[in-house]
Parts: sequence; C-alpha cells; structure tokens
Amino acid sequence: MIELQLFLRGDHEEAVRLREVLGREGFVLKRSLDRGEGAEIRLLEGADAPHVEDEEKARQIEELEVALRELRNLDVAKSQFLANVSHELRTPLTAIVTYGEVLRDGLLGELNDRQGEAVQSVISSSRQLLGMIEEILTYARTGARAIDLEASNFPIGGVIESAHEMSASLIRKKGLNWETTVEVELPSASADRDKILHVLTNLVGNAIEFTPAHGHIRVSARRWETDPAWLCIAVEDSGIGIDAQHHEMIFREFAQVDSSRSRQHHGTGLGLAIARNFIQLHGGQIGVDSELGHGSRFFFTLPSVEVNGLSEEP
Amino acid sequence: MNAKPDARSILLVEDNETIRNAFAVLLRESGYVVEQAASGADALARAAEMDPDLILMDLGLPDMNGLEVTRRLKKDPATARARVIAITGRALETAYEACIAAGCSAYVAKPVDTRLLLRIIEEELGKARLEKHPKPPQT
Repeated sequence: MIELQLFLRGDHEEAVRLREVLGREGFVLKRSLDRGEGAEIRLLEGADAPHVEDEEKARQIEELEVALRELRNLDVAKSQFLANVSHELRTPLTAIVTYGEVLRDGLLGELNDRQGEAVQSVISSSRQLLGMIEEILTYARTGARAIDLEASNFPIGGVIESAHEMSASLIRKKGLNWETTVEVELPSASADRDKILHVLTNLVGNAIEFTPAHGHIRVSARRWETDPAWLCIAVEDSGIGIDAQHHEMIFREFAQVDSSRSRQHHGTGLGLAIARNFIQLHGGQIGVDSELGHGSRFFFTLPSVEVNGLSEEP
Repeated sequence: MNAKPDARSILLVEDNETIRNAFAVLLRESGYVVEQAASGADALARAAEMDPDLILMDLGLPDMNGLEVTRRLKKDPATARARVIAITGRALETAYEACIAAGCSAYVAKPVDTRLLLRIIEEELGKARLEKHPKPPQT
C-alpha cells in the first residue's frame, strides 16, 4: 500500500476534495491540521513506502504529483494576482485622496459649505476603500507565504496601549468604556510586534464596530490557563455577540455572518482570516467565546520568553 | 499660490507620475519651490544640483531602495544638509527605526494625510532653521 501524507489547513477546499478522491482510490492518508502550511501532500518514500511494482499505480501516482504541483502553483498565482491588483488599485486612489485634500483645504481656492461636504465624502470613501485594499494586500501576502516574522521580546501591555491609542477617537465617538487588565509580573511576549499590533487592532476594531454606543470593551493579558508558559490575550465586548454556529466560519476568508446584500456591517471579511494567519505563524491559537446578544470574547495565545527558553533582560 | 522669494525648496522623489503630480500640486500650492525626481539615480543628481532644504523620499523606487538613496545623500557633503522625510508603505515601528538609521529625520505612512505631511514638513524646516542659526547660549 502506498502511503500519502496530506498537510492541509482545515478549510482548504481543494485539498479536502483531493483527500476524498485519494481516499476512494485506496490510499492511506495521514493528515496534519492547522499549522498554517496550506495544502501540501507528500509521498512517503523510503522504509515506510513499499516498493511499487504495479506500473499502473506508479503512473497514477505520477499524475497525482503533477496535479498537486499545479494546485500549489495555482494557490501562489492566486495570491500573487491579488497582491498585484491591490497594488494597482492603490495608486489612483492615493491620487484621488491627495487631490481631494488639496481641494478641501482650499489650496486651489475656497470652497463653499456644500462643495466642502461633497469633497469630504470623496475623501472619506476613498480612504475607506484604501483601507480595504490594504487588507486584501496583507491577506495576499500571507497567502503567498511572503511574510516573515521578525520576532523580538516585548511587554504585551505596550501593544495593548498602542492599539487603544489608534482606536481612541472611535471609542470616544461611541462613548464606549475601555478597560485594560494586564496580569502582574507577566513575562514578555516573544513574537513579531507589528503583526501582534495588527491582530489586536483588528479585534479591537471589530469590538468597536459591533458594540452599541455606551457599551464596554475589556482587553486583558494573562498567563494562559492551559499552558502558563504562553500568554493569552483577550478582547471582550458587550456587543451583539455571535451565534455558536458561526464561531468557526468567521475566521475564514471573505466570510461574514450576515452576507446578505442589505447587511449593515461592511468590510472585506478578511480581518479575522489575517489575524488567524498571523497567530498561527507564531504557533499560537485564536478563537472566540460568544453567544448571540451577550457580547463576544476573542482571544489568542502567544509564546512568551519562557517558551523560547530565554530569560527576560533586566 | 506662488512661491515667495524666500520660499523653501523641496525635492519630491516618487516614481509614480500620478502620485508625484498630486504631491507637487499640494506642495506648490502650499508655497514651496518643488523639484521632482522619478528614481534613485535621478534623486541623487537633482539633489546635488539644487541643494534642497528638504527631500520627500518614497521608499519604493524602481532602481534602488529609498533608504539607500538617503544613506548616499547623507554621505555626500554637497547634499547632507537636506532633511529627509521618508514616505513608507506601511506604518510599522520596525520601518521607522530603519528610516532613522538611514539618516531620515521623520517618516510618514501611506496613505499620506496631507495636513499631517505639511505639519511635519514645517516642523522639519523649523528644526533646520534652528541648526543654521543656533540660539545664543543662555547665561
């Protein structure tokens, strides 16, 4: 019997289909999940793999390998395409925003109130579009495996503070109550600080968006109960909550709970998929506890300096 | 607005013509004398010619990295005087450190907020003025 080993992300549809086909062909499959490698199938050779005498079978294996290479190339090509398109979209939009701001600030002559409002709408919408394109670009980069981690040791409290500062005006606007709790003598995180800030900003952004005015957002960092050498960072809100049946789906790319055309909440549906990719690159976990109507608690785990066997610098 | 006789000069380094034109309008209408360069090599040549007060440097240039251009500008006594503001693709703290190490005085993340950019330009030009005419030591 030939043994094939299948590495795939739990949600990679092509790989799941392939696994079904291979299963029907009578291959023994081993599957390893959720390490963020994407879809990959390896033919085990050497002592584990019995010699293939049957020529028909050898031919089938060769066909499969070709199909797999194509599949992998397609995945990279898809990400590359997304990255190129996003980059091309950004340039004209940047020009629109810049000219809009030149007009708004009266550099080409004073505008009356109605003109000023119209120009401000052009600027706001363009900036919103730019934000979404930036998100698609980030996602495409993680998909093309073009992202490397730049790990360092840093106190997580500072990152929470940065995420808070970046969202401060929105929090004020909605009259939300913000609270940060960091466990005393918490070891430093050992991770890529910019990526973690991105993840945290995204979770905080969601909390702000889905929490009605005057609600609260609590961000906490503590040792992870399951393994105290890891940190667990949580963003809790008093927002609309998420039904249990959607808890897995929301971490998938382009997924939103309300996908109807009349949906109230907009965006690319990539934010949590990017967050999941970033956390998985660190070997961490990300998840949510929530009930419809009772707020949400998103959490992720990160290696601390203790995991990596380093003691913190004095 | 036309540049005043004592207007400060800015070299705008950006490879994309559309974006370069937009920033040129912004800066000219704000009262600066603006020269433009579309590549790293172009930037080095123009800077040596015009001796600008300030350089706006896009980091993603076709021929060489904007930080490399900055390092060369700072090494050459003829161009070292100009303060360099980097325009970076993303607001990353690691990117900020690299900018400062290369000799930039400030950086602005894309998409650029024009009011913020103009404020930073004024701040940098203000600092340059102080360096040129240092205050007499206080007794």
